[in-house]
Amino acid sequence: MLKQKAPSAATRADLCRITVRGKDGSEDVFDIRRNDLLLKAAIDQGIEYPHNCRVGVCGTCKTRLISGRVSPMVDLALSPLKNAEIEAGFVLACQAKVRGDLVVEVKLGHHTMLPVTTVSARVSRWRKLPGEVIDLRLALDTPVHFHAGQYATIAESGSFTRRSYSFYDAPPMDNGAPASEVGFLVKRLPGGRFSEWLFAEDRSGTKFWMEAPFGVMGVDEYDRDGLCVAGGTGIAPILSIVADRLRRSTTAKFTIVLGVRSATDTFAEPYLRALVDQAPDRVRVVTILSHEPEGSTWAGPRGLVTEALGPELGLDFAQVSAFICGNLGMVEAVERKLIGLGVAEERIHADKFIPSGTP
Amino acid sequence: MTDYFKYLLSPAILSLHAWGMWMGGNYTWIGLAALVGVLCFDAFLPRDYSMRDQRYVRIYDVICAMTVLASFGNIFFYAWLVGSGHFETTASSIGAFVSMVFIGFVIGAPPVHELFHREEFVLRWLGRTGQCLIYDPWREITHVVTHHMRVATPDDPDYARRGDTVYGHILRTFPGQWKEAYHLEKMMWTKRGRKWFDPRNAWVYKAATLVIFTGILYALGGLLGTVLAILSLLLGPRMMLEVFNYVNHYGLISATPGRFEKHHTWNHISPLTRILALEITNHAGHHEDSYKPFYKLEPDTNGPVQPQFLLVVLLAFVPPLFFMMIKPLLKHWDQHYASPQEREIARRENERAGWHELNQPDPVNDLPPGIWRVAEA
Ligand SMILES: Cc1cc2nc3c(=O)[nH]c(=O)nc-3n(C[C@H](O)[C@H](O)[C@H](O)COP(=O)(O)OP(=O)(O)OC[C@H]3O[C@@H](n4cnc5c(N)ncnc54)[C@H](O)[C@@H]3O)c2cc1C
Ligand code: FES
Repeated sequence: MLKQKAPSAATRADLCRITVRGKDGSEDVFDIRRNDLLLKAAIDQGIEYPHNCRVGVCGTCKTRLISGRVSPMVDLALSPLKNAEIEAGFVLACQAKVRGDLVVEVKLGHHTMLPVTTVSARVSRWRKLPGEVIDLRLALDTPVHFHAGQYATIAESGSFTRRSYSFYDAPPMDNGAPASEVGFLVKRLPGGRFSEWLFAEDRSGTKFWMEAPFGVMGVDEYDRDGLCVAGGTGIAPILSIVADRLRRSTTAKFTIVLGVRSATDTFAEPYLRALVDQAPDRVRVVTILSHEPEGSTWAGPRGLVTEALGPELGLDFAQVSAFICGNLGMVEAVERKLIGLGVAEERIHADKFIPSGTP
Repeated sequence: MTDYFKYLLSPAILSLHAWGMWMGGNYTWIGLAALVGVLCFDAFLPRDYSMRDQRYVRIYDVICAMTVLASFGNIFFYAWLVGSGHFETTASSIGAFVSMVFIGFVIGAPPVHELFHREEFVLRWLGRTGQCLIYDPWREITHVVTHHMRVATPDDPDYARRGDTVYGHILRTFPGQWKEAYHLEKMMWTKRGRKWFDPRNAWVYKAATLVIFTGILYALGGLLGTVLAILSLLLGPRMMLEVFNYVNHYGLISATPGRFEKHHTWNHISPLTRILALEITNHAGHHEDSYKPFYKLEPDTNGPVQPQFLLVVLLAFVPPLFFMMIKPLLKHWDQHYASPQEREIARRENERAGWHELNQPDPVNDLPPGIWRVAEA
């Protein structure tokens, strides 16, 4: 999978050899130019290096440096890495300038990397859903390829404000075709620059710019059963992943655990219903409410989303692939819980909705 | 070989200035005169896109470090002269002060900036400590983190939007930087599990450096010497750096924050400015890789160019003139350099500034394409 494409201008002396060890004992080797950023250089060569934001805020490109030297662009204490991780030799690949040969530990994906493009688009749907969420669909002037679970960065034409949102659609049916329309679920954040603007009035027809695709969330064997855990609009990439996998496997079953605040937050219902209708015996949805008033008619589970995860789900935790999406605290709590239940660490795929803009 | 000696111009002007102050009387103006003379001469020279000789790069580092040390010597010398009543006439006092202000900016600040971006421990330490010469050891953190990450967007406190005057910019940028510096420092001590006053925190070290620096000024120059020395640093390098930031990315627009592209900065590539400013005005290369030492920066042969540095800085203080200079250049940038998405943001920024004429193409009066491209040899 690693196409060796040495940059033409570089001589041997300028190249650094990067050896990537996976936790499973795998080893990949590639060369990049000295002083290039590790992540950018790897991606440019088509290597599926885990990443999200590419600007040092999400922590997805976390890499353990076993030997060799890199220079971080900013003090790592200003990054999402924890202090213990910094002391244990972790760096952020997107911020690391390569200064020599490296041996690193990180889990590379082995899918085809799709090229990131910027395209113009118009809002083809702007619909308010219960629970302060907007279903925003963009008709793209140039169709774009993406994998299930990936996300885009969008900005209104003329505005500096860019934000990231996950596609809720599965990639088009016929394998390899690009999508000419894409949809996002945008939660209103009180005081939020982009979401408040989007909520203020019907934005149908407004021109947008979209840069995509980003992220590597939906990777794992297709025939594995999936446990999908989402908080709020974190359901978007889960919808995409489950719809895609239902088509790709005839056997895999999916349990979707969705945490929202109250019984009135029903924004995800029609999308989930469509999934269940597609394969009633293979998709199951558990909704758990965190702020439902006492004594309401809700008969389902109450509490944080972690409380819905346990043996009562009747899953073989040692075998499932887990997909988690939501805000940072929720994702971390769910990861801890799942590891405790016996889910293998390398089969946990998470996407954190950290603030994607600047303050 | 001459490439190396070019950078001795700064220490040479510094020495001349020190000599002038020592001589007293009207000689105190000599530093300023030399500086302005060099920059005026520079205005008549053609742009210089040459690369520097790379064989003995340590020489560059030594000259740069020497310039920082000499700048320290210079400010201490000034404080001492003031304290000992050396400047007898008003003209000599003013001459020395004004020379300090401009020399501190043009000659003192660039090597400090250069070194705090470096990786080598000693050079970086000198650069960080050297921030006493701008009397603000906190400048580095918002510069390295915020400015380099968010350049050419309103989320960068160092960025001036279309229609902003330098005075408004100064009022906005300082609180913006302080807020940001506090936020970042706090993040660092919280992450490391320390109390805010922990002596290992960077800010404590910075505060201590500043106290020691002020103490030395006081020991040498007494109250008056200290006050005038600090004032010269605040009015000179500290303030003028913001003027430099103001002009350097003025009105340019990035639709890809966090991913710098060469057209997101202005450049000043006249030969003597490049030398005095340690190539910082040759700005695109610096943003592409902020660890790259000044002598390795490659002038962008197709990058946006402003008129000569001194002229632009002076114009900045007279907003109507500055706008008259910058508007056609911004219009040119919009038409030939902006990405389609950036062009749309520019349209809105022009309307916000009330500069509607920038959104009206005028084939007769608009600048012709290619004004910034180096003619193929
Ligand atoms: C990879 C990725 C995918 C994402 N996908 C989605 C999605 O599908 N749907 C969706 O609704 N959002 C998603 N987000 C979050 C989204 O990008 C924005 O950050 C969010 O919509 C807020 O933007 P805003 O301009 O309204 O608020 P801002 O003006 O950016 O923020 C206002 C205030 O709220 C805080 N804040 C911002 N975002 C969050 C957050 N997520 N949680 C808690 N506090 C926050 C900020 O720190 C700030 O103080 C995703 C983020 C990432 C990184
Ligand atoms: S990709 Fe490196 S921190 Fe987000």
